[in-house]
Amino acid sequence: MIALTSPYLWYSTRATGMVTMVLFTIVVALGTFVANRIGGTIIGRFEINELHRSVSIIAVVFLAIHVVTTIADSYVPTGFISVFVPMTSEYKRVAVGLGAVALDLILAVWISSLLKVRIANTTWRFIHWFSWLGFATSIVHAFLTGTDGRKGWGLILIVVCSSVVFASAVWRYLGRPTRAAGRTALSPLAPQSDAARSGRPTGQRLGASSAPSKGPSPTPSRPTSAPFPRSPQSPVKKRRSR
Amino acid sequence: MGIRRRSGGFVLSINPILCDGFGHCGELAPDLVHMDEWGYPIITTVPVPLSNLAALESARYAVRGCPRQALRIDRVADPS
Repeated sequence: MIALTSPYLWYSTRATGMVTMVLFTIVVALGTFVANRIGGTIIGRFEINELHRSVSIIAVVFLAIHVVTTIADSYVPTGFISVFVPMTSEYKRVAVGLGAVALDLILAVWISSLLKVRIANTTWRFIHWFSWLGFATSIVHAFLTGTDGRKGWGLILIVVCSSVVFASAVWRYLGRPTRAAGRTALSPLAPQSDAARSGRPTGQRLGASSAPSKGPSPTPSRPTSAPFPRSPQSPVKKRRSR
Repeated sequence: MGIRRRSGGFVLSINPILCDGFGHCGELAPDLVHMDEWGYPIITTVPVPLSNLAALESARYAVRGCPRQALRIDRVADPS
């Protein structure tokens, strides 16, 4: 067990703080990619979305290590309360307080994303806007608190990360498509899934249901007048997912 | 899961108010969804049998992957 007075926890705090900053930069950039409808030809749009979700989980893990090692470390006097409540740290009151604000904002974004299927999508979107504020706060926290952030490559890293996120914000504001931005050319599941279907000739797609289908249809086609059925005939079980 | 008999079918249904045309569903469930020329999904209203596990899995991926959560899977009774 590492003694709490050893410098390794402090080193871990510093290192994971920088890694967290880089990871959240990537997360914000990827989120901007998703919002601006990047992808669809070489890489799928859904792949960028999955990458955004996956990298955000890794970033949250590194953030947790960063916070836990800060609490456990006895090198600087910061308490458990000061992690969540701003301006309660004895050590660098304002700078650590900004980190607490950033942590609260990131926690709000993270928890709302975990509860995404439970809450209204507009609520989730509103909370998700706070990720910009969370990043801005955390980058100031990194500059003010960071032992390595004042000079050398640490400062360069902070400048690069903040530039990337600032460029993402500008791009998000200027380059946002109004709603849909055209169809995607990529359907990575299509070639193999067409062949994998049993008893269905290749090339026939279920999506083209309006066209008269020639192959063995999975169900006898019933006349469907509504574009989407609000209440399908005799629903066995209806799942509300709103 | 293997014991329970899978009867009935499902339709992937969309809330068009929420849809912003991200196009993720068309990539994830290309057999159920095809895109119009503006990038909005046109989803088949013909129920797919639940025994079509590949289609059901792709529909679940589409529901999970929708950034606006505009999709849901509705189960319907066994199509006669």
